[in-house]
Amino acid sequence: GVVPLLLVLHWKHGAGTPLPITPVNATCATRHPCHSNLMNQIRNQLAQLNGSANALFILYYTAQGEPFPNNLDKLCGPNVTDFPPFHANGTEKTRLVELYRIIAYLGASLGNITRDQKVLNPNALSLHSKLNATADILRGLLSNVLCRLCNKYHVAHVDVAYGPDTSGKDVFQKKKLGCQLLGKYKQVIAVVAQA
Amino acid sequence: MALFSVSQTAFLLAFLSLRTYQSEGLSEPLPWAPESLKVSVNTTCQCLHLQWTVHNLAHHQEFRMVFQIEISRIKTSNVIWVENYTTTVKWNQVLHWSWESKLPLECAKHFIRMRSAVDAAKTPGPRVWSSWSSWEEADVQNSLGQDPLFIFPKDKLVEEGSNVTICYVSKSHQNNISCYLEGVRMQGEQLDPNVSVFNLNHVAFIRETGTNIYCKPGQGDGIKGTVLFVSKVLQEPKDFSCETQDFMTLNCTWDPGSDTGLLKQLSQSYTLFESFSGKKTLCKPKSWCLWQVAPESQDMYNFTLTAENYLRKRSVHLLFNLTHRVHPMAPFNILFKNVSATSATMTWKVHSIGKYYTLLCQVELYGEGKVTQHNVSVKVDGAHLFSGLEPDTEYLAQVRCANGDYFWKWSEWTHQNFTTAEAAPSEAPDVWRNVKTVQGRCVVTLFWKPLSKPQAHGKILFYNIVIEYLDRTSVSEVLSIPAPASGTELPLNQCSSQIRITASNSVGTSPASVLVVSREPGNEEVEEERVKGTEDGFPLSWNPQPRHVTGYLVEWCEQPRDPPCDLQWKNLGPNVTSTVVSSDAFRPGVRYNFRIYGISTERVPYLLARKTGYSQELAPSDNPQVVMTNLTSHSFTLSWKNYSTESQTSFIQGYHVYLKSKAGRCHSGSEKAVLSDDVVCCKYKIDNPEQKTFVVENLQPESFYEFLVTPYTSVGEGPHDAFAKVTTPDEYSPTLIRILLPTVFCILLIMITCYLKSQWMKEKCYPDIPDPYKSSVLSLIKSKENPHLTIMNIKDCVPDSIEVLNKQEGTRKSLTETESTKPTYLYLLPTEKRYSSPGPCICFENFTYNQAASDSASCGHVPVPPKAPPSQLGLLTSPENLLKALEKNYMNSLGEIPAGETSLNYVSQLASPMSGDMSNLPTNPPEPALCSEYKMQMAIPLGLASPPSSGSSSLSSITLLDEGEHYH
Repeated sequence: GVVPLLLVLHWKHGAGTPLPITPVNATCATRHPCHSNLMNQIRNQLAQLNGSANALFILYYTAQGEPFPNNLDKLCGPNVTDFPPFHANGTEKTRLVELYRIIAYLGASLGNITRDQKVLNPNALSLHSKLNATADILRGLLSNVLCRLCNKYHVAHVDVAYGPDTSGKDVFQKKKLGCQLLGKYKQVIAVVAQA
Repeated sequence: MALFSVSQTAFLLAFLSLRTYQSEGLSEPLPWAPESLKVSVNTTCQCLHLQWTVHNLAHHQEFRMVFQIEISRIKTSNVIWVENYTTTVKWNQVLHWSWESKLPLECAKHFIRMRSAVDAAKTPGPRVWSSWSSWEEADVQNSLGQDPLFIFPKDKLVEEGSNVTICYVSKSHQNNISCYLEGVRMQGEQLDPNVSVFNLNHVAFIRETGTNIYCKPGQGDGIKGTVLFVSKVLQEPKDFSCETQDFMTLNCTWDPGSDTGLLKQLSQSYTLFESFSGKKTLCKPKSWCLWQVAPESQDMYNFTLTAENYLRKRSVHLLFNLTHRVHPMAPFNILFKNVSATSATMTWKVHSIGKYYTLLCQVELYGEGKVTQHNVSVKVDGAHLFSGLEPDTEYLAQVRCANGDYFWKWSEWTHQNFTTAEAAPSEAPDVWRNVKTVQGRCVVTLFWKPLSKPQAHGKILFYNIVIEYLDRTSVSEVLSIPAPASGTELPLNQCSSQIRITASNSVGTSPASVLVVSREPGNEEVEEERVKGTEDGFPLSWNPQPRHVTGYLVEWCEQPRDPPCDLQWKNLGPNVTSTVVSSDAFRPGVRYNFRIYGISTERVPYLLARKTGYSQELAPSDNPQVVMTNLTSHSFTLSWKNYSTESQTSFIQGYHVYLKSKAGRCHSGSEKAVLSDDVVCCKYKIDNPEQKTFVVENLQPESFYEFLVTPYTSVGEGPHDAFAKVTTPDEYSPTLIRILLPTVFCILLIMITCYLKSQWMKEKCYPDIPDPYKSSVLSLIKSKENPHLTIMNIKDCVPDSIEVLNKQEGTRKSLTETESTKPTYLYLLPTEKRYSSPGPCICFENFTYNQAASDSASCGHVPVPPKAPPSQLGLLTSPENLLKALEKNYMNSLGEIPAGETSLNYVSQLASPMSGDMSNLPTNPPEPALCSEYKMQMAIPLGLASPPSSGSSSLSSITLLDEGEHYH
């Protein structure tokens, strides 16, 4: 009938590539009023993430054991192909939209990493703590960016893409993917925080 | 049954026909060959799973068949495994068989084929096989993907110590791939151009999170890895045991050994299975489990404890009779009844284990450092009587029980304390005394030692003292001293008395100690002897007494240097004539004095011996304080009379006097000695410790000496430090001093006298104004030139006129103007009046002088400041100062004088302001007044100006100004 066709079309439309952002004239409302100094707060959160990214990266690859600490370039290189792009010279709106996608991507990936590490390294408590803290900041940052997009640019929805699910992968692959993601995160967050 | 017979017959017929067929040339295949062989791969367990069927079986036909399975690796000719699988085959049955590969199946292709035969183990002869099935290929490499490098197996779980095979598959055809285990490179073998295999033998447990194995190519970034999970080997449970406390539950315990939990594997689980009842329970704790005893009477239990993890199972068994595994609970409710001074009854309760069982209980009693043990049989309540106890003593009683019928284990102890009742003290207190006479009255100080716990039998409350005077003239006295006093001082009405001391507790009174204080003080003339202490104490001995004694007593002070002294004593039997006094309080270097008394039958002590000694003699630590007297050029005397030989750290045997001198010669009576610092000196030895003076003689005058007096003992002498220094005087210096001192004194006296009488001396010897009467010049003139010349007597001078000059009013004259005014004279005239106000200057002319003389020196008009301070005027005693003062104040004086006013100056004719009477000048400054002129009256010898006609003035004056500075 029609419904399966629509579903298929919709699935095809949304698969693979992110949806375009909401038109400017679309209605947008946030549940709570945005913070008056929102951009400053976003910058501070980015700076906070940038400040802790390297420590998180080190904690992660140290907890995985050999060969990770001594083969960072081969195991933890930022070779994440589907990572959302970021253009530092774009407009604020563009940058905020790209930032939103990056944060969403990172949030999901960090969730996978945290879940995996709780199983793979149950005794690495400091790593768990750092992962959770980073995820918390990312959530706050996501909310702030959305608030800014909504209030200033009337963007209520941004389609996002996520990284691969690691649940079905072998242990070494989980470790490696997590390391690559954190290496990429460290690299990207430095650029974003400077923008 | 008929069906079975038919089938068997058919099978035999078929078998026979098959054998016949085989014997004829094996040209036809066996009809029951395996068919439809399918091979599947399970990479999780690295298993090949085979599935096939056997056709041509009749319906409901079944018989045992053997399937021979061949497995080749990489190529079909490389057979690595052959196995005969025997099973019963039924009609239309799908058969299964699995094989676990040591090599990860992803590493190489595998080929499988099989053939079958009827299992005819009961029939002799060779087995008839069917033809081989075709080779089935198991190739996982095709489904690996496009990555250039793979490592297998993934996340494998093995036991510690097992062998593991790792391989990598390279699709990039690289040969320089290196693989590592925990950073250590592994050496492998090449299976084919793209596959290498690594055999790990006896893998070790490293960590719970697994061991990283990785391979990296020589070029590119493609590090690939896998994690190998090595678990510890599951151990058999140890010390498996079950017991019951109440016949309701069984508590089974064991030692689980090491935990085999891993990321890929949970910890081992434990299951308890009882075979008689067929019950099974999963034990959540790892080291114990509770089992409910069946309500029906099951005596025997056969338990199987199974430990299990992902890789292994281990079991232990235990068979026992429940009544033999009774571990009673600890007794409870311990009580003590009928507690007296020497006995008590303890009761307790036990948890019942059934009316048919008897408990054996063990009772222990701890007290006074001893342990007693008793066994008691108990059904429900236990009781035991403790006897022979000590009064007022705390005891600890404890009890535990076990099954009396079949001993398995004791219960835990249950314990309780109790204290026996008090009894009257059993021993008399040990008492001693010290008697002294104060103002003719005997005062006894009693000392007693507290009764020991076994003697006191309770808490001592009082010490009772009864004094009975022996001559019966006084009434007995009774005193009660509360504990814990250990002595008291009693003034006695009479010395001869008997004192009885008892100790009382809440139950009764002890026997009495009796002391008799005698009127006679005892033999105090006993000579003191020295005794040498040892590590064990002071060995004391004395002569046995001819008269009957009831015992001996040794008395000493443990703190002889402290005023309370801490008097101690030791009672000894009548047959004892020696003892060793020891005490922890004895210290080396302290002299202890011992007095040994004999106690007569009348309880009167009398002194037998006095001993003194050191537990250990120490070398003197201090030298005497030496006073040096009688220092002469040849000798001096040393004295140290304050040095007490009694309070030293050892017996003083004498003294050494060391004398150091530059000459280094020692005279008779001394010997050379070399001190520790290699200094040579003379040593004088004094053998008598009571000789505390010494004269050092034969010294050289004006020589420097150093001396030291140090005591010497059997263990050494005092320290060689702090030599005193002395220098002998010159031989003649006393005589010189006797002469020089008075001379210096006299000179000083004269100088002081001259200084104090300098004015008088000046006047007498060289006055500023010579007295004409005393002048020798005058006498010379008088004698040689004019015998009539004489000195005018002041009394003869009668002033005949006073000329008063009124100065012009309103005029101010400068010094130069004053200089040009003639004849204007300023004289100082002594007056009794106060210079309260300025006035016109009056000059008294003295006609004794001629005009020339008066012009030149007699009368100067000196303006005087109206109110000059005395100190300022005092400066006028010097002509120069006076002139300066005049110059300084002149203008001011003029300025301050109002216009029209005149001043009157008086000029003394009696004394010069420069003379000794100068004090009049500052104290009585001339008051400015009307200016008067006064001319000095003086007889002038010939050659000088002729005297004025009026020579009646009796005053003389002297000018205040120097020559050439006169103002006219």
